[in-house]
Amino acid sequence: MRLIKQNIEHKDGSGTATLLPEEPEDMWHAYNLIRPNDLLRASAMRKIITESGAGSRSVERVHTTLTIRVTKLDFDPQASQLHVSGRVAEENKHVKLGGYHTLDLELQRNFTLEKNEGWDSVAIDTLKEAVSQDAKAQLWAIVMQEGLANICLITEHQTILRQRVEVSLPKKRAGSTDHDKALQKFFQTTFDSVLRQIDLANPKPLLLASPGFTASSFQQFIKTQAATGANKQLQQFLPKIIVAHSASAHLHSLSEVLSSQAVTSKLSDTKFARETQLMERFFELMRNDDARAWYGPKECEAAVERGAVGKGGGVLLISNALFRSQNIATRQRWVKLVDEVKEQGGEVRVLSSMHESGKRLEGLGGIAAILTFPIEDLNDGDDEGGIEDDVFANGDGDDHVNGFEGRREHYEDIEI
Amino acid sequence: MQRVKNIDYDEDDVYSEEEEYHEEPSYTDEDRESFTALTPVVRAELQESGLQASDKEIEEALWHYYWHVGKSVAYLKNSRTPRPQQPQQGKKDKEKPKSKFDQAAEESAKKAGCMIPFPSTASDWFQGISWSVIPLGIQGELVPAFAAYPRPQLLGGSSKLAKLAEERRKKAAASQAAPAAPSGALGSLDRLSKSKDVKENVLPPTMPEPRKYPIRQKREPTPPPKEPSPEPEEATEDLPDLRASPTEFAKTMATHAAPSQVAEAAETHMDSIFRSSSNEDPFKGPSPDDTVMRAQWHSKGINKHARKPSDGLLIKKTEALKLEPKIKSKGLDVPKLWAEGRASRKSAAAFVVIGHVDHGKSTLMGRLLLDTGAVAQRDIDKYAALLIPHTFVSMLINARRYQKQATELNKSSFALAWVMDTGSEERERGITVDIAQHPFSTLTTDFTVLDAPGHRDFVPNMLAGASMADLAVLVVDANQLESGMKGQTREHILLAKACGLERVVVAVNKLDATTPTAWDENTFQSVRSGVQKLLTSVGFQDPNISFVPCSGLSGTNVVNPAPSTGPTAWVASTSGTILQQLESSPPTSPPEELVKAPLRLQITDVFRGSITNPISVSGRLAAGNVQIGDTVLTQPSGEKAIVKGIEISAEPREWAVAGELVTLHLSDIDPVHLRAGDVLCSVDKPVAIVRNFVAQVTAMEALLPQGVDVHVGRLHVPGSVAALISTVDANGEVVRKKPRVVKGGDTANVKVSLQEGAPLAVGDRIILRSGGSTIAAGQVDRTGS
Ligand SMILES: Nc1nc2c(ncn2[C@@H]2O[C@H](COP(=O)(O)OP(=O)(O)O)[C@@H](O)[C@H]2O)c(=O)[nH]1
Ligand SMILES: [Mg+2]
Repeated sequence: MRLIKQNIEHKDGSGTATLLPEEPEDMWHAYNLIRPNDLLRASAMRKIITESGAGSRSVERVHTTLTIRVTKLDFDPQASQLHVSGRVAEENKHVKLGGYHTLDLELQRNFTLEKNEGWDSVAIDTLKEAVSQDAKAQLWAIVMQEGLANICLITEHQTILRQRVEVSLPKKRAGSTDHDKALQKFFQTTFDSVLRQIDLANPKPLLLASPGFTASSFQQFIKTQAATGANKQLQQFLPKIIVAHSASAHLHSLSEVLSSQAVTSKLSDTKFARETQLMERFFELMRNDDARAWYGPKECEAAVERGAVGKGGGVLLISNALFRSQNIATRQRWVKLVDEVKEQGGEVRVLSSMHESGKRLEGLGGIAAILTFPIEDLNDGDDEGGIEDDVFANGDGDDHVNGFEGRREHYEDIEI
Repeated sequence: MQRVKNIDYDEDDVYSEEEEYHEEPSYTDEDRESFTALTPVVRAELQESGLQASDKEIEEALWHYYWHVGKSVAYLKNSRTPRPQQPQQGKKDKEKPKSKFDQAAEESAKKAGCMIPFPSTASDWFQGISWSVIPLGIQGELVPAFAAYPRPQLLGGSSKLAKLAEERRKKAAASQAAPAAPSGALGSLDRLSKSKDVKENVLPPTMPEPRKYPIRQKREPTPPPKEPSPEPEEATEDLPDLRASPTEFAKTMATHAAPSQVAEAAETHMDSIFRSSSNEDPFKGPSPDDTVMRAQWHSKGINKHARKPSDGLLIKKTEALKLEPKIKSKGLDVPKLWAEGRASRKSAAAFVVIGHVDHGKSTLMGRLLLDTGAVAQRDIDKYAALLIPHTFVSMLINARRYQKQATELNKSSFALAWVMDTGSEERERGITVDIAQHPFSTLTTDFTVLDAPGHRDFVPNMLAGASMADLAVLVVDANQLESGMKGQTREHILLAKACGLERVVVAVNKLDATTPTAWDENTFQSVRSGVQKLLTSVGFQDPNISFVPCSGLSGTNVVNPAPSTGPTAWVASTSGTILQQLESSPPTSPPEELVKAPLRLQITDVFRGSITNPISVSGRLAAGNVQIGDTVLTQPSGEKAIVKGIEISAEPREWAVAGELVTLHLSDIDPVHLRAGDVLCSVDKPVAIVRNFVAQVTAMEALLPQGVDVHVGRLHVPGSVAALISTVDANGEVVRKKPRVVKGGDTANVKVSLQEGAPLAVGDRIILRSGGSTIAAGQVDRTGS
C-alpha cells in the first residue's frame, strides 16, 4: 500500500491518511485499519436511474467519490476483497445524505480514512506496517496426505486456503491396482489445480508438505510432468519446489511446517520468523506449566498490571482480531494494554489472525504473555466461571473467529 | 485405443477402473514381472557357461520351473543341444493372455537391458513418457509400464486359490494337446462356461464408446478378434450403475470390447472359474437366493441398478435395465439366528499387529499365514524371486557369486513381509503404510490379521486397524527395545489401550539375531520386564498380557514350537507359540443387546469389490446387525444405500452382527457419498453429526487450547481443543476448573470443536494428535451441535 498523503496529529490522533492499495494483500491491511464509525472516502460506482417523461427508464453507471461513515466491514480473504458498508456522510449530486452504500475498495484507487476515535498507537503501527515497502515474502504451500491436498498461498500476513482437493482413495488391496491408479489421479487433479493457481511466469516458491512419501511422490510427479512436457516455465519452476514434512494434511499442520528450518531459511521473513519463535517459546513454557507463561485476556491484563510484562524479556502476543472488535471500548482496552507494555519496556507482537501463529494464539483467546518473573496465582478467583454450563453456547461465529471459520464459505471444494 | 476411452471415464469415476482390474490376482502380470527380474540373471548364468539363450527361451524355462533360477539354468544348459519342446508349449499357454501392451512393455523392458532403474516413486513409472504431446486420455496407455517392474498381485489369495492356480499352471504346461491357436489360455473347460455369444468379438476394437456409459464398456474384456474366445461372464452381469437406458449403440458396445483387453479377459475369466467356490459375489452360483432373485427379476418397478441373475441367465440388456430386481430383504430375525447358532459356531477374533517400525510385524504375519497354510510357500518364493532389486541384477552379471549371496539374504528377509505389504509403495520402500487385512483359520478359530504400519507418520492408519481389533499382538525387536520405547512401541501401546483393547500378546521377536549368541534368554527376560512395566502402567491387566519369544523370519515359535534342544531349549518353559497364545485368547462374543442395537459401522475403506460389486465398503460392525436387502444410511452425507451383498473373510453371508469385520456391497448410492471414516447406520436411528463435544481425555503430553487432529478409528479430521473445562481425579471428581494447562498424565474434561461435523456418539473413543504425536486420548462424554 502506498501512502499518498497524511496529516495525522500525533498528539490527539486527528487527521486523515490517503492510501493507494496496490496489491491484494493491501485489502487485508485496509480491513485492519478501517473500523466502524470511521469516515471513509473512496471512489464508487453508482447506478443512476433516470426516468424520462414517456415512462422509459435509462440506467447509467457513474463513477463518483463517496464519503461514508462506516457501519460494517466484510472481508473476503479468498478473493482479497473488502466491502465497507456505511451511510453517506457527504452529499453529492448522485447520493443523498444518510443513504446506505457499500464501497468495494479497489486496487489502484485511492481511499482516504479519518478515524472517529482518532489514530491510536495500534492504528498507527498498522498503518506503518501497511505502507512498508519491504520486499514481501510469499510462497505457495500444499499440505497433503493421500487423498487430501490443501493448496494455500502464504503471504506475509495471511495464509489463504485457495483450494482443497479431496479424493476418496481405495486402500491397498491384494491383487488390485485401484489404489495406485486413484493416487495418480489424485496427483493429476492436484497438479491441475496448482497450475490454475500459480502464475508460472512469475512463480513463488512452492512448499510441499505431507506425512510419509506423499509430498515427495507428488514432487516426482511434477518433475515427470515437466520432463516429458514442453512447458519450459514448468521446468524452470522445479528448483522452486521445497519438500517438507508435516504431520497431516490439515491446515493447522502448517505451523509445524512453517517453523521448520527448511522453510524459515527460504522465507527470510523476519517478522514471521520472530512470531513463530515467540509462539514456540510460549507453548514450551506452558507445556512445562511454567508460571511465566499466561494466556487469556484477564490473566494477561493482570500480569501487565503487576509489571511482569516489561523490560527484560516481557512479551505480549496479541491477535489483531481483538482490535477489530465492533465495540470501541473493547478496542481501547487492548490498545491501552499494548501501550502499557511498551511503556514498561516489553515487546509487543500483534499477530495476524490469518497467519499460522496468529491462529494458534486465537485458540488461546487471542492474547498471551511471557512474563519476566513467574506469577502462580494469576487466574485465581476465576474458578467459578460458567464454562461448564454453556460449553456449547459460545461456539463460534464470534467476531474473533476469523481464521478457518471465515474462510470456509469461500473455498472451493473439489470432491471427486 | 481402448485405454484412451478409459481414462476419459476415469476422470469421472474413481471406481470405474480399466479392464485390467482383477477381481483376483493375475498370474500373467506376475509372470511378466518375474521375467523382467529374472531373465538377466539366468542369462548371466548361461553366459558364464558360454551358452546363449533368447529371452523367450529363458522365460519359458523360468515359467516352467516356477521361477527357480538354478533349475531353469540347468534345464537350459541341458537342453542347449536338443531343443526344448515342453517349455515351448508351456510358453504358448502362458503367453497368450498377454495383451499387446504388455508384450510391448516387456519387450521394451528387455531392450532397455537389465539396467532398469528401480523406481522410487509411483510417478517414476511414467518417466520418459511424453505426457504433453499425447492427449490426456492416452495416458492410460502407460499402464503397461507397470509390467516392467515387480508388482505382483497375488497376495490376499487364499491357499485354495494358490493351489488352483498351481493346478492351472501344471495343466497348462502339461497339456501338449491344448488347442494352441484359437483359444489361447482358455481351455475348452473355460469355454463351457462362457456366457456370451462369440461373435460379438468381431466388432472392431477402435469403436468409440459413448461416454455416458463409462463403467460397463470399460470393464468388459473381450478376446482379440482373430482368436475368438469366450467373454467372462462378468461382462453380461455387469450392468449396475447405469443411470439411464443406454442407446442402441451403447448397448451394442456394452457387449463388445477391444482385443487389447484379451489378456484381462482371459485372466478374469480363469479366475472366476477357478475360484467359483469362494466367489465374492454372493449371488453367484446356485444359492438359495436364486429362486427369490429370479422371481424378483421380473417384478415391476424400475431400478437404475441392473443386476443379472448369477446362473448366466441371458437377458437382453434393455430388459435387464428395466426389470432389474430390487434387492429385497428376507426379513430374517438376525439376532435370533445369531443366538441359535452361537453354540455351533467357530469362534472368531481379529487382532491388530502393532509395534515400532522394522521390528518385524509384517514378516511375523507373513510367517504366521505361511505356517498356518493361509498362504502357500510358492507365493512366498515368488515374492522372493521378484525381490531381487534391478540394481542387483546388473551387479550380478559382474560379480555373480558374491552378489548372489546378498540377494539371497535380501529375498528371504522381505518376502514374508510382502504377504502383508501389497502396496507398490510399500514394496518399493520396504515399509508398511496402511493396514493389511488377511484372514486365516485354525481348527478352533477364524482369525483376521490386521497388520499395522509402525512408522509414526502412519499412526492414523494404525488407529484404523486397532479400532477393528479384539486384541493386539505387540511385536518388539529384542535387539531394539530402546528405539521402540521412545517411539511407536510406546505410542502403539497407549493407542491400543485408548482404542479399548484389553488383551495383548507380546511377540519378543528377532531372537535369532540376539548378541552375543542367538536365542539369548537374558535378552528375552529383560525385554519382557521392560515391556511389562510399560503395559501395566498404561493399564493392561497382568492376566491379559503374555510374552512369547520368537523369530518371525525363521518361524521359530510362531506356529511351530522351537526345538527343545540347543539354544532354544529354554523356550519350552515360556507360554507356548504365538498361535497358541492367540487361540487361548478368549474369543469375543458380543452381548445380545449389542447385536440388537441400531446398526453402526465405521467405514474403513471404500473400494470396488468386484466387477459386479462396484461399490463396496468394509469395516467392523460396531453395533447392531445387517442382512442382505437392508437399507442403510451413511453419515455425514445422509444418503441411503441398499446392502446387496455381505462378505466375511471373503465368504458370502446372508447377515452379519456386531463384532464382525464385514465387506458390504452396496447399491443405490453414488460413491461420492461414501468416504473412509464415515459411518453406516440404521435409517431409523442414525448416528448424529457432531461439531462440538466434551470428552474426558487423559493427556499424554501437555494439553492446551490448540489445533489438533481428531481421530476416531479411521476418521481423521481437523479440529481444536476449544476449552479446558476441568481436570479430574481417578474417581472423576473435579480437581480444578478451567485449568490453564492439562499436564501429561492428567485426566481432564475438554471441549473439542471439529472444523466440520462428523458422525459421533457418546462413548466413542477419540484420540487427539498434534505435530505427529498423540497428545490425548479418551471418550466422548457429551455431544453438542
Ligand atoms: N533377524 C531377523 N530379522 C527379522 C525378523 N523379522 C523381521 N526381520 C527383518 O526386519 C526388517 C523389518 O521387517 P518388517 O516385517 O518389514 O517390519 P515391520 O516394519 O515391523 O513390519 C526386515 O528386513 C526383516 O527381514 C526376525 O525374526 N529375525
Ligand atoms: Mg510392516
